[in-house]
Amino acid sequence: MTNSVKNIVVVGGGTAGWMSAAALSKVMGTSQYTITLVESEQIGTVGVGEATIPMITLFNNVLEINEDDFVRATNATFKLGIEFPDWKKLGHSYFHPFGLLGVDMDGIAFTHFWLRWMKQGGNLDYSKFNAETEAARQRKFMRTAEQKVMLLPRINYAYQFDASLYAQFLRKMAEQRGVRREEGRIVKVNQAPESGMVQSLELDDGRTIRGDFFLDCSGFRGLLIEGVYKAGYHDWSHWLPVNRAVAVPCDMVEPPIPYTRATAREAGWQWRIPLQHRTGNGYVFSDQFVSEDEATMKLMSRLDGKPQAEPRLLKFVTGVRKKSWVKNCVSLGLSNGFLEPLESTSIHLVQVAIAKILAMFPRDGFDERLIERYNAEMHFEYDNVKDFLIAHYHVTERDDTPFWNYVRNMSIPDSLTEKLELFRTRGEVMAKAGELFRETSWFAVLAGQGLMPESYHPVADVISEDDLRLRLSKVRTGITERVNGMPLHKDYLETMAQGASASGPRGQGATFESATPAPAQTTGGFQGLVNR
Amino acid sequence: MARPVQSVLIVGRDAAAWLTALGLFRAFGPAGVTIRVLELPSILTKADVYATLPSQQALHRLLGIDEADILRVAKGVPVLGQRFANWSGAAPPFLHAYDTQGAPFSGVEFLHYWLRAREEGMNVALEDFSVGAAAAKQGRLAIFGPETATFSRATYGYHFDAQPYVRAVRSLAQRLGIERIEGQFAGAETTRDGIQKVLLVGGESVSADLYVDATGAEAALACRMPTDRFEDWGKCLPCNRMIAATAPRLSQLPGFSQVLAHAGGWIGIYPLQTRTAVQALYDSGVVSDSEMIDALPVLSRLSIEGDAVVSGLRTGIREAWQGNCVAIGGAASMLEPLDATSLHSVHIGISTLVSLFPVDAEKMPEARIYNTSLRGHAENLRDFQLAHYHLNRRFDSPFWNKVRDVPLPPGLASRLALFGARGRVLINDNETFQEENWLSILIGHGLIPRSWDQLAGKMPQAEQIGFFQRMLGFIAKEVSGMPSIEAHMELTAPASAPQSSF
Repeated sequence: MTNSVKNIVVVGGGTAGWMSAAALSKVMGTSQYTITLVESEQIGTVGVGEATIPMITLFNNVLEINEDDFVRATNATFKLGIEFPDWKKLGHSYFHPFGLLGVDMDGIAFTHFWLRWMKQGGNLDYSKFNAETEAARQRKFMRTAEQKVMLLPRINYAYQFDASLYAQFLRKMAEQRGVRREEGRIVKVNQAPESGMVQSLELDDGRTIRGDFFLDCSGFRGLLIEGVYKAGYHDWSHWLPVNRAVAVPCDMVEPPIPYTRATAREAGWQWRIPLQHRTGNGYVFSDQFVSEDEATMKLMSRLDGKPQAEPRLLKFVTGVRKKSWVKNCVSLGLSNGFLEPLESTSIHLVQVAIAKILAMFPRDGFDERLIERYNAEMHFEYDNVKDFLIAHYHVTERDDTPFWNYVRNMSIPDSLTEKLELFRTRGEVMAKAGELFRETSWFAVLAGQGLMPESYHPVADVISEDDLRLRLSKVRTGITERVNGMPLHKDYLETMAQGASASGPRGQGATFESATPAPAQTTGGFQGLVNR
Repeated sequence: MARPVQSVLIVGRDAAAWLTALGLFRAFGPAGVTIRVLELPSILTKADVYATLPSQQALHRLLGIDEADILRVAKGVPVLGQRFANWSGAAPPFLHAYDTQGAPFSGVEFLHYWLRAREEGMNVALEDFSVGAAAAKQGRLAIFGPETATFSRATYGYHFDAQPYVRAVRSLAQRLGIERIEGQFAGAETTRDGIQKVLLVGGESVSADLYVDATGAEAALACRMPTDRFEDWGKCLPCNRMIAATAPRLSQLPGFSQVLAHAGGWIGIYPLQTRTAVQALYDSGVVSDSEMIDALPVLSRLSIEGDAVVSGLRTGIREAWQGNCVAIGGAASMLEPLDATSLHSVHIGISTLVSLFPVDAEKMPEARIYNTSLRGHAENLRDFQLAHYHLNRRFDSPFWNKVRDVPLPPGLASRLALFGARGRVLINDNETFQEENWLSILIGHGLIPRSWDQLAGKMPQAEQIGFFQRMLGFIAKEVSGMPSIEAHMELTAPASAPQSSF
């Protein structure tokens, strides 16, 4: 029996396109398959997805990417999470970290124990029980695999990188593994008359690219999935009303910090993504509430460094294709949908799609049941991320602009209502298996947005009060010790840039051992000498 | 028939007064004894600190003082021991941790195995076999399960900011209904039998069946007793001046206080939650006040802030119970604030008084046994302090040469001789510090016994090495699982909640 699917064509050479080509060439190989990527240099890439979530390390590992090479090649910085200033209310800030809150005990989440302690009058913020948050506060970073201290919490991280450099990095890798790149603009798509399958693409220079399986990575317009198949679009702008982003890079004014900042603004929010060589900025907004010109002006006035380019405007509609896979064509990345970059999920959703395509690879042709399964699973992914994003807007005390009044009062999906109610009453959202954002993330964001649970799991009441405090203090100890042992993020990056591996921690101020000796003449510190 | 004691008047100040009031109230308040306090003006300043031994935990439990509350209010921190530095020339500092060292094996004390291994070339300090010392060095709180409890008795005392500590104890006492007499102490009317009444400014007076003097060094009541005689210990305890000062908080709370010897005395450094308390003790014949102050930042390696407070110190003892007046704390005996014993003396006074509370207001034969007991305690504590001085190995200054050669009280001399000969610690009656404490400071100061128990030689050398390694491994593992003092404090005595969580 021979494989009927041998020629894979990737349409578009942005981040999604080159991620797909690199992954397929690594996993499927190019000896039995031909992989062709068609892109046009005339068509720019969007590349807003400069921030990622930790799952990207899995993707890079599958590709056998050397992390240090990758960090250097993409001007990457490490990312411990996202800071959300002004979301709950103006002047307030919270952190959504990668990694865990405390340590689960007795079969229930740590947060229940924390809630019990809080209800008894404790007031040490839950974020003190998360190592990534504490490290971010102190702008420290380290890959914990490099330090062999047991019992300390690990540090979970992702990257902030230049997406176009990442695409170039992946392109080099893919081409080395035998991916053929064809330069040209697609002017016509040929379908099989009866089946409707895409058979070939015609380029502007007259060449024809034939294929058995097409990955549509053509961006917002969805050249095949929408242009050919009219897959349709679930428009989610009722819940996620932002529809524009204006982006501009600026000079660095401080060493790069190990986290992304997403600051709530009058009609949306502003991202700040520190890279090694520049800072990425953008204002994601709804043009119903602020004009493009005004949003651009606001963004430019809120940069902390000198702009490096003219601001670039992107238009989008939040939502997802009704079908991601139609016949022999699958859409990935922006051509499949756009959930706005608030939680840096764009690249992750590409990665998920790639993993599913590989898992369900149509070696012997296209089975409708498999395609349905794929579409259902991808929809589930987008749908859950959507609910998580909506929660950021909806759970808020902000009432200072029409935009915030709208999102605070808008109707929300039943699935989200259920989660919020569960959280309010029992301190957990009971996320289903397979959901991207787990309890820790929901807790960080919901509590950060101001929704504090009224109760907690009864198991947390079983231990004695002393035992409770002891357990909490042990968790806190592990975190402070972990963070005390970490170098500053900027020093870590510098050491990496020099090709060396991790450096140790720096001094911490006065202790018995390292107190700064005060010179004898500086007794001016005394206000005086008094007799008892 | 005996006339029972129905009223007690405590004349005193600061912690001694209010701890005593609480102690007597908890014991005899339910029996209908009235406890009143005539408070003298505080002599505490913002710079002062109370450093306590682990026994303070028991005292607090007895008095109903909640640990988390008092730590929070009095900016306290737990401490697992004291580290002595610069007492012995170039020798490294040692830690007097409130814990045992090692575990006995086959009925032979660990010390003897350690002495033998040392003779065979091992270079591991005795304190390295102590869970408490290891925890203290890492700034961890020795909290552990039953497995470790068979091996270690590690526990902790406290440092408290003195002024808020007194406020907290006073307010608890007043909440419980202990009466604080409004008025200013003017003196006392005494006869040969004791105090008739305590006089107030303005002519009024207060009387009671039993009087307690908790006025500290002033001994405002005791010094008025016709039989009073103060026995000065200044000949053997060398420091007669004290400076109290403040430095910034240490960035990581250590698990111990630091006791640094300097050319004319010693400096105590006591970390607190919000600041670091510093005390300098010195002999005014060797160092002047201004020299001491100039040297303080250099010696302590801390930047001193705010006022430094100078006071005199007169060490010594008196008969604590004379007639119907019982002196407690500094009024009964005064030591240097070395070894964190000041509130412990108050504790001893209170518990001894509770157990010997007079049954007859007219005649108090309990005084004799009370005085014997208190003198025993005070002398044992004094000897513990003297041992530090006597065993010093500083040959760089006349002060240290002199204190090394001060003639020792016979009890201490024989104690040191016995230990030096065969590693045996003699424990007296009325002893505050136990065998492990004596062992810790004697070995720490370099008094290494000349011989060891030959039963320790029965273990083959390889087996002994394995035994030691297992013990060290066990300690390292246990200690790494203990919470840090820093984290414990954040949870026990949290600061007010922040507006933002990032």
